Amino acid sequence: MLKINNLHASVEDKAIIKGLNLEVKPGEVHAIMGPNGAGKSTLGYVLSGREGYEVTSGEVMFNDKPLFELEVEERAREGLFLAFQYPVEIPGVSNMEFMKEAVNAMREQRGLDILTAAEFLKKAKEACKQVQLPLDFLKRGVNEGFSGGEKKRNEIMQMILLEPSLCILDESDSGLDIDALQVVADGVNSQRDGERSFIVITHYQRLLDFIKPDFVHILAGGEIVKSGDASLALEVEKGGYAFLGKKYEEAEA
Amino acid sequence: MSQWLTQVIAQAQQVSDYLAPVRQQALLQLQQAGWPGRRNESWRFTPLTALDKREANNSVVTGEEAAPVIDDLNSLDIVFANGQLVTDISSINLPEGITISDLSTPSENAQQNVISLFGSVKPARHVFGLVNDVVAQQGIVIDVAADAVIEPVIRIVNKVTADVDSHIRVLVRVGENARARVLEHGEGAVSSMTTAFAEYDIGKNAHLEHYRFAFYTEKAKQVGGSHFKLGESSSLNSAVVGYGSELSRLDIDIWHAGEHASAKMNAIYLLAEGELFDLHTNIEHAVPNGTTEENARGIIGDGARAIFNGRIHIHRDAQKTLAELNNRNLLLSRRALIHTKPELEIYADDVKCAHGATVAEIAENELYYLVTRGISRSKALVMLNFGFIQELVNQIPDQAISQWLLPKLSERFSHMEVK
Repeated sequence: MLKINNLHASVEDKAIIKGLNLEVKPGEVHAIMGPNGAGKSTLGYVLSGREGYEVTSGEVMFNDKPLFELEVEERAREGLFLAFQYPVEIPGVSNMEFMKEAVNAMREQRGLDILTAAEFLKKAKEACKQVQLPLDFLKRGVNEGFSGGEKKRNEIMQMILLEPSLCILDESDSGLDIDALQVVADGVNSQRDGERSFIVITHYQRLLDFIKPDFVHILAGGEIVKSGDASLALEVEKGGYAFLGKKYEEAEA
Repeated sequence: MSQWLTQVIAQAQQVSDYLAPVRQQALLQLQQAGWPGRRNESWRFTPLTALDKREANNSVVTGEEAAPVIDDLNSLDIVFANGQLVTDISSINLPEGITISDLSTPSENAQQNVISLFGSVKPARHVFGLVNDVVAQQGIVIDVAADAVIEPVIRIVNKVTADVDSHIRVLVRVGENARARVLEHGEGAVSSMTTAFAEYDIGKNAHLEHYRFAFYTEKAKQVGGSHFKLGESSSLNSAVVGYGSELSRLDIDIWHAGEHASAKMNAIYLLAEGELFDLHTNIEHAVPNGTTEENARGIIGDGARAIFNGRIHIHRDAQKTLAELNNRNLLLSRRALIHTKPELEIYADDVKCAHGATVAEIAENELYYLVTRGISRSKALVMLNFGFIQELVNQIPDQAISQWLLPKLSERFSHMEVK
């Protein structure tokens, strides 16, 4: 589904990702951990196509298509979804109107009928219920005045509605209490169907208690330096990133 | 002095009615005022070139051309077509507590009231306001009795379909403890010239919900104003929407004449390519304990030009005033222009006031967020721009009006190219 081959990327001429390789197959859950400054969020932005994040070399194939030849919205319609660490607030654009537009853009791409307002509302209500957001959130401006936890749940609600094939969760656990964490994890787990894949970017092991990864990768200094199964995350939890050695500790600083 | 004004003054000298004494006074002021040019601060950025070669045309248009606005807003409509009153007011089924009369033929008892209200709220410095004073014969006088609560929205429509001059006057008195809603609705796209001025005297503890929608576009020229005098503990909630056209200027004046009055005003302006819109607002806090909250937002299209001048004047005695003014603008291209000037003049020392203005383009991170959800860039730009004004539309207390307004704004927005 996703094949990253020797990816290099920079932000404002500063190299952040330096030779990253990763393959995600359908249905797999990959966790990416690593110290601050390792390039975890940058990877999410590069894959989604954020302006200012420049790919200097390497190749990424997504569903057998060269990802970097697609515009941001085309990547999304192709099935790539990024749940943001810091979702932006957009007053004046209601969640409802925004998501209806997005869902219908996806449906159009997939050759499905456009949903009427009533049909969409029904789906949106179910999704709201699933992530325990009150219905009036649909009427409010996108993320406007939402708490940190509400914003994260809103991201997961969008994921549920858009039905992507690859979900990248950028530190969806940051700033969440244990209850909210459980809601986010339940939302993710409900979408695991053996076909849909996930890249879970996280700082801590605790999210992985709820979302069991098939693979764990340690990203440091812009490349994946170690890969393993779920037990690798437990090792990191216990001993931190000291095992990476001095070179990467500096990257963290 | 322009040819147009010279001809208007000539017309004015022929007007003779029960308002003659007040008109005479205004005519003297008008003759002294002269034609505003670039050196006149309040007209500095609004050239009147569209009127330079215009001939004053007060001919009456009748027949199909003067078809009134028909739409689905459930309101009590008083209709002017090309400046001529077409509704037989007596046929309107009015709720108890309100009287509406034709400016030209008020009852003898009402005449004295009209004379006392005419020009008493509107500031005398406005050249086009003076023009309206001296020549407006078409108009409406609304009197809401004390303690009355008037449910239907009273909509005063002026629809322009022909190249004529229209001069419309609205006088409204809202009695003590009364509540009412008035919508001034103008529209037209053909070459024409409209002056429409309204004066509102809001009594003690009364509440007025006010709307002014200036949907004049393309070749239409309009200059007008809504002016309010707030009595003690009264409140005003006003929403203004203006489109750009060849010449479009609106003045909103709010005069806190009684203590503990509150005013809220939201304004939206949307300018398509090459159009001009000028919004001047002036809030006078003459007494203590008043509050004002003003938000104006504009979206300015390619090659269009907007002017916003918002002044709040806190007089020496107006202690404990709370006043806020905010103007935000979005430019749709590098060729769009806004002259914005928020002004605070404070002569009292125990007040809380703030003012500010911003001019920006769409935030890149907001655009990115929407397109990561599969929404096309062009659609996302429209959503963000529209969202910017929808925030103010959502604050309109009457949902029927906001729901009626939204598709109109959306339609207008579809003519504005987002680059």
